[in-house]
Amino acid sequence: MFNVARRIISGLFIAAVAAGAAATGIEAQGVKITDPTSVVMIVNRDSNDIGFMDIKTNKMIANVFLGNNVNPHMVMMSPDGRYVVTGGTRANKAYIIDTRTLQLVKVIPTDIAPEHLAFSPDSRWYYQGNPDGDSISVIDMQSLSKIKTIPGFVEPLNVTFLPDGSKAYIGNYGAHWVGVVDVRRHELLKKIQVGSIPSVAKLDPAKYLGEIKGINIAAPSIDGRYLYAADSDLAVVGVIDTREDKVIKTIRVGKDPWRIYMSHDGKYGITANNGDETISIIDTKSNSVAATLEAGPAMTGINFAGGKAYVISSTSGFVYVYDMSSLKPAGRIKIGTNIQLETATTDTQDRKIYLAESTNHEVVIIDSKDNSLTRVKNVGLYPWGTHIMDSKDNYCH
Amino acid sequence: MTFRRYHPAVASAALSLLLGAAGQTFAQAPAGQAPAGQAAMNMADHRGGIRGTVRDANNATIANSAVAAVDVKTGARFEALTDAQGTYAFPALPVGSYNVTVVAAGATAFRRQGVDVTADQNVQLDITLDAASAAQAADAERQELLQQVTELKQRVTDLESNTVLSEPETRVRRVEVFVDENGNEHEEQVPGSKPAVTYRRERVYRRQTISEKLEEALADAEEHNVKIGVDAAITTQFAKRTQGGDPYIDNRAYALASADLFFTAGIAQNTIFFADIVALSGSPPDAEIPSLTLLNGYTARLERQNELNLREVWLRTELFSQRLALTTGRLDLTNYFDANALSNDESTQFLSDALVNNQMLGLGSNGTGFAAEFDPKNGFRLKFGLQQSNNDATNLSESLFTLSEVGYTFTPFSLPEGSYRFWFRTDNSSLDTRKGTGISIDQKLTNAVGVFARYGTQDLEDDGRDHYWSTGVGFQHGLIFNPQDTWGIGYAQMDLETGDREKLVEGYYNLLLTERLRLSFHLSHVLDRPAEGEKFGYLLPGVRLQASF
Repeated sequence: MFNVARRIISGLFIAAVAAGAAATGIEAQGVKITDPTSVVMIVNRDSNDIGFMDIKTNKMIANVFLGNNVNPHMVMMSPDGRYVVTGGTRANKAYIIDTRTLQLVKVIPTDIAPEHLAFSPDSRWYYQGNPDGDSISVIDMQSLSKIKTIPGFVEPLNVTFLPDGSKAYIGNYGAHWVGVVDVRRHELLKKIQVGSIPSVAKLDPAKYLGEIKGINIAAPSIDGRYLYAADSDLAVVGVIDTREDKVIKTIRVGKDPWRIYMSHDGKYGITANNGDETISIIDTKSNSVAATLEAGPAMTGINFAGGKAYVISSTSGFVYVYDMSSLKPAGRIKIGTNIQLETATTDTQDRKIYLAESTNHEVVIIDSKDNSLTRVKNVGLYPWGTHIMDSKDNYCH
Repeated sequence: MTFRRYHPAVASAALSLLLGAAGQTFAQAPAGQAPAGQAAMNMADHRGGIRGTVRDANNATIANSAVAAVDVKTGARFEALTDAQGTYAFPALPVGSYNVTVVAAGATAFRRQGVDVTADQNVQLDITLDAASAAQAADAERQELLQQVTELKQRVTDLESNTVLSEPETRVRRVEVFVDENGNEHEEQVPGSKPAVTYRRERVYRRQTISEKLEEALADAEEHNVKIGVDAAITTQFAKRTQGGDPYIDNRAYALASADLFFTAGIAQNTIFFADIVALSGSPPDAEIPSLTLLNGYTARLERQNELNLREVWLRTELFSQRLALTTGRLDLTNYFDANALSNDESTQFLSDALVNNQMLGLGSNGTGFAAEFDPKNGFRLKFGLQQSNNDATNLSESLFTLSEVGYTFTPFSLPEGSYRFWFRTDNSSLDTRKGTGISIDQKLTNAVGVFARYGTQDLEDDGRDHYWSTGVGFQHGLIFNPQDTWGIGYAQMDLETGDREKLVEGYYNLLLTERLRLSFHLSHVLDRPAEGEKFGYLLPGVRLQASF
């Protein structure tokens, strides 16, 4: 009797385990990524997909196809790791991928030419900048729907949320002001002008009435209290106090600064000055230029790793290196000849830099320990940028 | 009774065309009959029906009234006419949800949305055409039209954004392949194959806007063209004697115009060709004031009045990951050495040559030569160059001028960056000035203020030495009218072994009018004490207008 009962119980247990295992097995088949920090995301502009590369093995896990002629621009993972999003510049749509299953779960119409984007710190809001639509699309990540389009910007390039998520700051490349958005109401609150136009501007219509090169991004200090916004035409960096939303200091830098990049320890911000091929290193303690050093042409990004700054010179094929303790040049790394370098992200250990190289469809990994290179080929067509969750260097052109 | 009605027929028709609405109208059927074309389908599936009576506001039945039922999902349209008793019937409708409308006098008089038809069931829908039903119908149609307008706007937006060149773009890549002994090309290595480099066109799928395509084409054309640049300046100076008497001149005005035409072309990988043709015209103060150094730095370029002069023509190539640059041709070797950031350019900084060049570098004219610059981009720089120093010499061996320099850029004592250089030169063309050495420093104190200093000396045949030094301060971003203005004050002194001595001080303010046009004001004073003869001094106010593009 006891044996019979035990057999029955054992049989039920085995059946339950088998059923559970089967169920787990079915679920496991759909799960491609269990740890969102374990992958490098690569936005492939011309193969219209997002590549996912295992950060330990440097092997491609998957390429999530978005659609024909989407031409994605920037990729970013939500802070909670649940979704990966990108703006399809030529499709005028935002694409939302489930991180676990790598399924494209939603396509949302935006305004014209979506490029750069940002998440609110609580992962609730996805702000998609539409430079050609002069607007920000607000996407609710709970309902995965666009709830609003905030108008009134001028070529909005980048979005920066405050750490408490109360406000977002928008760099306007087609103007000389930073937009302040109330995140609770998703409304443009005010426009902060970072620098004044020089009085001789009217003598120079070729410069000032031609193409405007204004503000790319308002980059935050390490505590989020201040924002640093470089204005290309005015060749200044405006320091914005986010408590009062006003410029407290204007720092003159080199010619035509593309944007500013903040060091991971918060001590310095570096502008890439494409006009005179220099970098200006700004001491954030004194808010003054600590050094202006020679760099290369067509700089598209700056990454920080191993106590050094790596400056990407897109057309020369070089990455210029600077020692951030002595603030002096520390050589340059040749990535290749006749190639185009794009942008890069740094791992969370601040050691390896994942640089997109579009000519040969590869990602070049720079180890800051010895500046050695590892090439991961065939990641997709025309890799345009990379992204790692929680990296401090997540940016795009 | 006249109803105020919204009449969207024309707009709807247009929208339907644009939106490609799939509505299909089945032939009007009399009451009690299924629409034409449905008979075949009726045999295959279960259907339902809608029936009822149409009355007017006085409850009187209306005959020959057109009733329509439109399948919400498929857009299929069914029509029926009321009979003499005002009844209508759709006896065999496919199962689904229907919008039922009655059109009277050309306008929709009744509209009921979402009438559910289930299998083998008839829905009774009696219709009263009154003011309320007409208003309700008009409102519903307006909502539908607004929805269509919204969809249309979205389509127009999509259309606008898709107005791009969507034909596949092609680009050429340099790729590594594997070639076997038969000459067959493989993507992967196969037995007997060897790696080889080839070039291949690949097709990419990127949409480009027309403006992007144009920009690319223009940039490509510009890259392949010979680039031309112009640097033109006119300097006007006035000389007021402050010391000395006759025979030294007094109260004279001078002007010198200079125009440089540059040609640059990329001719190979990391290799460029450069040529500079210059012409000068006018009278600088140096023609009349016998100072040790040139009071107008442009005078050094003046060989013959109003004549074109090939000042420089050279080839430059960069080797070893572009760390080593080699330049050869007709050079101005001093361009490559002692490049002090604050006092090395007569076109934008000081005008006096004593504050432009180290006077002990000692090269008078351009000539055939060679320069090598090694820059590992870590702060150190090494340079070496040689040049024919005497263009009239019949061989290089007897007119060889060499320069060597080591430089270092760093940020000392928590100051911004500074560059420190040491140079050494030899010259075998002159018996009494064979070797010279010098240092050159430019150091920023803040982002706005920098200081510079130079020292140079040359040994002479009789063991004597000539000495030169200069120092000064330059401002970039401080105490200026406009953001890109610069100004500076400098002092230079020269002591020659012969006993000749000169002291010079100059201040300038350079106003950036546009990206291509600068106007600067200069005030300098020179005091010369010749070894033989009376000392003399001049105050020289001046203006320089310089265009560069």
